[in-house]
Amino acid sequence: MKRDKSEFSKILNMYLLRMQVKTIGLVLIMSLTGILSAQSEFDQFEKNIRPIFLKHCVQCHGEDKAESDLRLDAPEFWEIGGISGPPIVAGQPEKSLLLLAIKKTKPDFAMPPGEKSLTPSEIENISNWIRTGAKAPRTNLAATDKRLDLDEASAFWSFKLLKRPGVPVNKQDRWSRTPIDQFIFNTLRASNLTPVSDTDKCTLIRRATFDLTGLPPTPEEINDFLEDNDPLAFQTLVNRLLSTSSYGERWGRHWLDVARYADTAGDGSDYPVREAYKYRDWVINAFHKDKPYDEFIREQIAGDILAADTTQAVYRDLVTATGFLAIGKRYGYKQSPDYQHLDFADVIDSVGRSILGLSLGCARCHDHKYDPISAEDYYALYGIFESTVWAFPGGEEQKRPADFPALVPPEEIERLEVAREDRLSNLRRQIQQLGLQRSQLDGQRDTGGLDLGMERQDLGRSLKQPWVSSGAVEIRQDAQSPFANVHSKGTRGVRIGTGPKTDGIRYVFEPGLTAKNDKKMYFNIDFRTGAGTEDGVYRIYLGQGVVQSIAVEFSISRDSFMLKHGTEWELLQKIKTNQWYSLQVEIDSVSRTYSGTLATLTAQTRFKAKNTVPGWNGIANCFICDGFGHKEGPVLVRDIDNIALTTTPLNAIEQVIEPPTKTAGSEEQLAILRQSIDALKEEQQNIESTAVSEVAYGVSEGKPVNSHIQLRGEPEKLGDQIPRRFLEVLGGKQVPAAYTGSGRLQLAQWLTDPSNPLTARVIANRVWQWHFGSGLVTTPSDFGYRGEQPTHPALLDWLAMELIENNWSIKHLHRVIMKSRVYQLSSEDSPEAMVLDPENKLLWRYSRRPLDAESMRDAMLAVSGNLDRSVPGAHPFPDVNTWNFSIHQPFHAVYGSNHRSVYLMQQRNRRHPYLELFDSADPNVSIGKRQQTVTPTQALFLMNSEFVHAQAHMLAHRIAITVADRTERIKYAFAVVHGSIPSTAELQSANRFLEEYSSEAVKAGAGDGLKEAWQAFARVLLTSNSFLFVD
Amino acid sequence: MTAFAEMCNQVSGQDDPLSARRSHFSAKADRVIFIYATGGVSHVDTFDYKPSLIKDHGKSILASRWLNKSGEFERFLIKPHWGFQQYGENGIWVSDLFPHLSDVIDDVCVLNAMHCDSDGHDKGTLAAHTGSAQFARPSVGSWVSYGLGTVNQNLPSFMVLAPHAPYAGAQTWGSDFLPGCHQGTHVVPGADPIKNIQPRVASKRLQTMELGLLRTLNETKQSERLNDAAVNARIRSFETAFGMQSAAPEAFDITQEDQRTLEMYGITAGDRSGFGWQCLMARRLVERGVRFVELIDVGSNSNWDSHGNMADHERLAKNVDKPMAGLISDLKRRGMLERTLVVWTTEFGRTPFNMSPTHAGREHHNFCFTSWMAGGGVKGGLSYGVSDEYGIMATEDSAHTHDLHATILHQLGLDHERLTFRHAGRDFRLTDVHGNVLHDVLQ
Repeated sequence: MKRDKSEFSKILNMYLLRMQVKTIGLVLIMSLTGILSAQSEFDQFEKNIRPIFLKHCVQCHGEDKAESDLRLDAPEFWEIGGISGPPIVAGQPEKSLLLLAIKKTKPDFAMPPGEKSLTPSEIENISNWIRTGAKAPRTNLAATDKRLDLDEASAFWSFKLLKRPGVPVNKQDRWSRTPIDQFIFNTLRASNLTPVSDTDKCTLIRRATFDLTGLPPTPEEINDFLEDNDPLAFQTLVNRLLSTSSYGERWGRHWLDVARYADTAGDGSDYPVREAYKYRDWVINAFHKDKPYDEFIREQIAGDILAADTTQAVYRDLVTATGFLAIGKRYGYKQSPDYQHLDFADVIDSVGRSILGLSLGCARCHDHKYDPISAEDYYALYGIFESTVWAFPGGEEQKRPADFPALVPPEEIERLEVAREDRLSNLRRQIQQLGLQRSQLDGQRDTGGLDLGMERQDLGRSLKQPWVSSGAVEIRQDAQSPFANVHSKGTRGVRIGTGPKTDGIRYVFEPGLTAKNDKKMYFNIDFRTGAGTEDGVYRIYLGQGVVQSIAVEFSISRDSFMLKHGTEWELLQKIKTNQWYSLQVEIDSVSRTYSGTLATLTAQTRFKAKNTVPGWNGIANCFICDGFGHKEGPVLVRDIDNIALTTTPLNAIEQVIEPPTKTAGSEEQLAILRQSIDALKEEQQNIESTAVSEVAYGVSEGKPVNSHIQLRGEPEKLGDQIPRRFLEVLGGKQVPAAYTGSGRLQLAQWLTDPSNPLTARVIANRVWQWHFGSGLVTTPSDFGYRGEQPTHPALLDWLAMELIENNWSIKHLHRVIMKSRVYQLSSEDSPEAMVLDPENKLLWRYSRRPLDAESMRDAMLAVSGNLDRSVPGAHPFPDVNTWNFSIHQPFHAVYGSNHRSVYLMQQRNRRHPYLELFDSADPNVSIGKRQQTVTPTQALFLMNSEFVHAQAHMLAHRIAITVADRTERIKYAFAVVHGSIPSTAELQSANRFLEEYSSEAVKAGAGDGLKEAWQAFARVLLTSNSFLFVD
Repeated sequence: MTAFAEMCNQVSGQDDPLSARRSHFSAKADRVIFIYATGGVSHVDTFDYKPSLIKDHGKSILASRWLNKSGEFERFLIKPHWGFQQYGENGIWVSDLFPHLSDVIDDVCVLNAMHCDSDGHDKGTLAAHTGSAQFARPSVGSWVSYGLGTVNQNLPSFMVLAPHAPYAGAQTWGSDFLPGCHQGTHVVPGADPIKNIQPRVASKRLQTMELGLLRTLNETKQSERLNDAAVNARIRSFETAFGMQSAAPEAFDITQEDQRTLEMYGITAGDRSGFGWQCLMARRLVERGVRFVELIDVGSNSNWDSHGNMADHERLAKNVDKPMAGLISDLKRRGMLERTLVVWTTEFGRTPFNMSPTHAGREHHNFCFTSWMAGGGVKGGLSYGVSDEYGIMATEDSAHTHDLHATILHQLGLDHERLTFRHAGRDFRLTDVHGNVLHDVLQ
């Protein structure tokens, strides 16, 4: 019965409306069909019919083919018709052959051919259009669907010059309070809509607080506001909210959606970006400080260039701002032009969408299909970004970050680098000196001591621990080297006889040296080849393990000393048998090269810039002398002595180390020396592993180039070279030919030039959207031909001008918008308005909005008392030196936190599970408007997740310790969670629930029942629509 | 809103994006089980039998592409590592890697001349799922969910059963610009396949009371409004979730299956994961109305990516062979195969050649690979598409990934050119501006 009545009233409403239509005329028809911005008699055709004709008909019934002599590409043709006569009889769909054909009721007169069919709604639209007169502009369909050309563009609404429009004045307007209201009222009036009443103060403070801070108001704040009877109370509230740091966190997050912010790079292995958070914090702070929007944009495009003339503190911020460009999804496994065109595609598309509201990305492969953006425009911008150096975050093939811009100016870097090198060389010197002192005291030490323990070996026997030997190896007095520059002159050396190639000696250095810490490695060995006549070889090896990874290799025959240069054996010099030589090698483990000397007591041969063996893993912890040399043959007899591997330079050949002298107290001295050396080494390591200055994930200037057009977007197929310039439709200014920069500075200026009408319109619309849930243009990142037209074009321009004329202050826009009456409307229904404008496009009420992912989590943490309001620092990513992520083993982490959600680690490829579940922005692309989904998996989270239960427990506890009386507790709970006073019915329901639940909980064996009941009640409040939506 | 969505709303009279929708034309299949073999399966070792490759083993050829670079490369042909035999009434060639699948080959249509545009894992995986190798786009399962909705509101419309994330992670089953309810719900085989499915309160009665109060409070609020889709949907979502708490555990309850069935899938006692479990769950889910179930066999490592040693294919084939054959047989004996389209694919094939004649591995190869389909109105016992004598290029009746997608949609009664969504100023399709339905393989 009830249903019948409401059905009846609906029908009645429709009837009444039809009656009105006749009298009010066309405008109302428009609003009925949902076309609000349109004012033309051809709208029905443009919106519904033209696309159908173009899609289904004109390919065969157009200029090219004209099957059955019928053309549907212009009214002049379909009025004549084809062999069956005119297809359309205006006003009479039932007599129109077109309709008969598309309904496909007669198989031999059915269109389109084959299994394709028009949808019922398409058929309905054509039928309606014919019934209402089949009106269409007398132009060619296909021609007018071509892209806007530059001339047409200047007349297109979004490209039109920005001017401050007059504020409409309506004598009957008793409703408006601000100019914004006057625009709104004017449109409502024209559509015969009446705004609903103003909202109550409780709802208003909750709306404003969530809107500006993403958090709920506290009961105290609500109370203060309710008691403030000053007519300016709301403005005071808005000002208070705007001054909080929560405001920056909330509105910064909006921009981070647009900026496609994430904390990981996004290629297959999704490398973490340790510095990303600095850009995030920069955005938050920029909103907090109300940085003028034009400056905000300029700094994000060219902060590093603008930084040149600034102070140190500002420099840091400006470089950080360029994170906007760098922060997008990356496609590269390594730094390589092979991949970079995709990074550029991301940045051009993102700059277009976020700042200009244009889908520039479409012009990558060909001129934009609809908008006046050519492929030339695209590659003109491409050149600017190709002339820029991009921070490389790390990837599968190159696992370490590179080219991150420093947060201090170049001259400061230079100074810091010099200072650092000074400190390091000073440290190295100290370590060396102390090392020498130590050698004097300690015979056991590796470097300068008694020959790696060789002096302790027994004469006439094979080498024992810590050495390893096999075959004919003997400790002999006459195998003692005459050199004493590395180890003091001793009493013995080792003779290795001939035998299998695998025989020989080996020493494992504990610990060995690694390229990471030890940039320079020094190696010494003295050798003498036996006087035999066989043409054979032996080898000296240094590297990791038993030839697991070779650093350097030398091969010695009777007359030649060979060294390995990369993969090739190279003759260093001719040598003699029965002659002692000392080989000193200095390995640069960074450049993977080595140099050194081969000396006799009287002569030296230097060699330099030899490559270590390719593929060396940077570790040197093993010396071997065996028989695998540069050629085949019997292994030669040789004497070996004075082996050393150090990180400090070796003494020159002529120096002589005196044998250690043990004295009383030398053990204590040694201990002190060891400590000092260890401390110095630690300091050295710390300095070496820390970057000379802090860096940011941003960009810097590179080599200026003009890019070639890539035909069909393929980087191998190049077309003309295009000078760097701005979009032609926005003036097309060029980067001066002789200019030595990338052109980003110019781009930053062009983007924010007040003569560019898009930038201000786009941000004004975004701000409006973030306040009302929907923009005046509902496609916030597409202001092009295929985007939606504004519902209130004059209001949009008024807001854009208001922004520009008030120094681009976003906070000023907040104030003027929130002061308006339209912002303060109730979200209640109006049956009449629901029929005329169900989507509330014309703003006859405030549209209720669901809490977004961040607000929901933050609000739950806030009301439970668990929210940590401090600003966290960097994410706890694993140490960069351990990074080995690959497409097979990508980086993945979820870090727990009670901070505001904007600070959660946002992973690009495997998104944060909570944020993903509740539709946070996908960081792979610039997001102008979030999806809003309602799924059962979300409900499961609300019902059963550990998080919601934990917050409910804390909330129940908070309620219990704050108030004693049950009814008061319920009221307090409503106030904290919903910001409202419960109705009598709600109080009753709650009371009854607490009673019944606690006794049922006792039955179910869950504690004393009461505590559980309050926790359950807290959960209900936290998951009910009054909490999850903002009115 | 697109014309299609408009039509659907007219048909269903609802705004619920998941309500069951009418297809464009009469459908041959109602649901899809999409099996994805991660890493790139070698076609010449599995389904594409090349006698010349065996005969000319070790001979050198000039390859036009090697490791993602174009050029001329002298490479050596390498014969298949396994023997091939003919199976079924039509003598379809299958290698010894799939002894069980070959038993049901009369229900399988092998596509031997597949090709795609990308030979990288990340991009290949995205392309196989979304049609786009470069940009984030909705997955095929999301498109199907968007097009047809679902008939069981107690379960998601698109579910992905995968032990590990594949290349490209969750983007593989992402809904991207389509409404989020169409994204794949990822289920990790094991004890806790759907997150938060277990109630935390002591009894069902207690939870019912909680939801009762929730409904009361929400309805009080709702009575002030005539029509608010989001608020209504939120209220309903709790009811669905409540249903899921029993529907999902019921769907995933393997104890309801008899020993003979478990045997068919090769599931051993107490097994709650493994590919057999995934296949059996796929049947149970489609049986309960889930529209699109995707099964991913491995993940982004230890997969079919046998660069170094093709012998690894044996382990991977063994993992899936019996379960897939069991799935087809089980669907068939229950009369479900006719209306269930089973699709098996991978990101690309592997090179029939390598650097040396003795090399044990094969590299990525996107010019030619094999996929197969079964059930859902597809001709069984058919080998469609021919590659050249060595399996290097797809030559006759070749099929691009876009064509496979178009065919999947077609069997579900959806026209891939009409299933569109307006985003960022243009109408997007799964098949972009490409795709041809493979009519020759349809019954």
